[in-house]
Amino acid sequence: MANPAPLRSRLRRYGTSYTMLLPFLGLFAAFLIWPLANSLYLSFTTFDGINPAAFTGLDNFRDLAQDARFMHVLRNTSVYVVASVLLGTLLSLGLALAFNGSGWAHRVMRTVFFLPSVTSSIALMLMWKWVLFPSDVGLANTIVSRLGGTAVAWLATPGLTIPILVLMSVWGGMGYGMVLYVAGLGSIPQEYYEAAEIDGASAWRRFRHITLPLLRPVTTYVVVTGLIGAFQVFEAVYIVFRGTNNIGGVLDSGLMIVPYLYDQGFTHFKLGYASAIAWVLFLIIFVLSLVNLRLGRAMKEL
Amino acid sequence: MARLNGHLLRLPFYLLSVTMVVPFYWLLITVFKPPAELARTPPSFVPHSPTVANFYDAAWSPERVNPGHLQGIFQRFQVDFGFWRFLFNSVFITAAITAGALLICSLAAYVIAKHDIKGRRAIFLLIVASMMVPWQTTLIPNYVIMRNLGWLDSYAGYIVPALAKAFVLFFLVQFLQSVPDELIQAARVDGAGEWRIWWRIVLPLLRPALAAMSIFIVLAEWNNFLWPLIIVQSDEMANLPVALARLNSYYAGPDHQGAIMAGGLLASVPTIVFFLIFQRYFVRGIALSGLKG
Repeated sequence: MANPAPLRSRLRRYGTSYTMLLPFLGLFAAFLIWPLANSLYLSFTTFDGINPAAFTGLDNFRDLAQDARFMHVLRNTSVYVVASVLLGTLLSLGLALAFNGSGWAHRVMRTVFFLPSVTSSIALMLMWKWVLFPSDVGLANTIVSRLGGTAVAWLATPGLTIPILVLMSVWGGMGYGMVLYVAGLGSIPQEYYEAAEIDGASAWRRFRHITLPLLRPVTTYVVVTGLIGAFQVFEAVYIVFRGTNNIGGVLDSGLMIVPYLYDQGFTHFKLGYASAIAWVLFLIIFVLSLVNLRLGRAMKEL
Repeated sequence: MARLNGHLLRLPFYLLSVTMVVPFYWLLITVFKPPAELARTPPSFVPHSPTVANFYDAAWSPERVNPGHLQGIFQRFQVDFGFWRFLFNSVFITAAITAGALLICSLAAYVIAKHDIKGRRAIFLLIVASMMVPWQTTLIPNYVIMRNLGWLDSYAGYIVPALAKAFVLFFLVQFLQSVPDELIQAARVDGAGEWRIWWRIVLPLLRPALAAMSIFIVLAEWNNFLWPLIIVQSDEMANLPVALARLNSYYAGPDHQGAIMAGGLLASVPTIVFFLIFQRYFVRGIALSGLKG
């Protein structure tokens, strides 16, 4: 049997290894693992941030289940998530198929659609708020009045809130998805298409039976990261729709999970209740990630 | 015929690009319109009297009202250095987090990928599993920790909790696993210590991966809003997003939009420039991370 390195030198090397791991693991434990456990604990308590947390068992979750506002939050979030991810993914794919060439026109188009991804997101939100200004000085209302309509109170009409949030999300995100799809398209061997053409397959059949299946990993990635990002929406609601005493816009029409968490935790200082909301968000994202893993593995086995 | 078909199919997407350009154009012309022109209906689509007053208006003074003149973005905040302060905060915080995270994560990634230590699989698994945790779940306990440490309203509160990034570590470990062990073994045989190997061999090898990761970190930290919103109270410690959000809640009128949009434009220039410099790493980073597995 080969004798391993002398014990002392092995210890020294291991010592170095753990020292090198320490900064990461220390910060990771202090600002992720411990807070995660702590927030689970807080979700079973009543806590105002000042007095010690009082254990109340499942009360927070029971209250959440009966909280009409929270049900509204879940409904808003679901509609927003499904609409923005569906539209965003379809348009990303469409854009990638339309502009995946290397000529200047395609490159310009890709840059134009990608621009929001590298623009300050706050700047984009402020831009939208200004575009949707309620009177005739705003861009949207100028267009409406040119078309013969009357000024719309875009940000104060409950029925328009979710559509506007979806529009902002799709507008800002489709360029990013497009870049991912373009990368995916580039990795499909050209020979597949040539072979299919020789066999007389139509453009639609080539798309349906070569492009789409081979893009499946990209689609999974775009959809899952899109879902996860959409569930965490905050800024758009807070910047564009927040009123003087209502974070989620008129009649809570734009109230979603993270804005509600912020509202309960940092406006009303119900930190225990807000932690319960945080754990609902965690469970949703966790299940989505597991589905992602499962899908990924299933793909590989196919 | 096929070409014509292609152009017809692309037509809706060319039209869609108009909806991309128009809001940006609207932002840009707003920046260069004087307040009076901004309040006029119908709005002009080419500024009648272009001005840089929305950045700095020499005719405005706090002592007397001067009709038609408002503070430019650099005159809006009662902190030392005004708007420059937020630009500095954002640049400093983003740079510190990016550099710190890349150093700390590359150290740990080197150990996990190339050292044969007990528990490394378990550690790696834990870190990968943590990528499924939305960071908002830890928001409230982290806020309490910051308060107890006295780190509210401080650079430490921005930077320290943001350094241990699981996705960066995961990406670097993956990248290092594709690097042959021989280089590192050879250095060990030559008597180089582990820290030296990390600094002299591993970091240079990781360069493309670090460049790709730096883009993701820079964009995320530059736009970070919810965390600063919670931990920052003073104007002095605000980053650009928080400062602009405050500006937006103080001034609602159309005549103020010029200065607000000027602020938004200034907040966007650094990331756009940064991206232009590093963009080739970005596409490679996407190809390496999301799509391979």
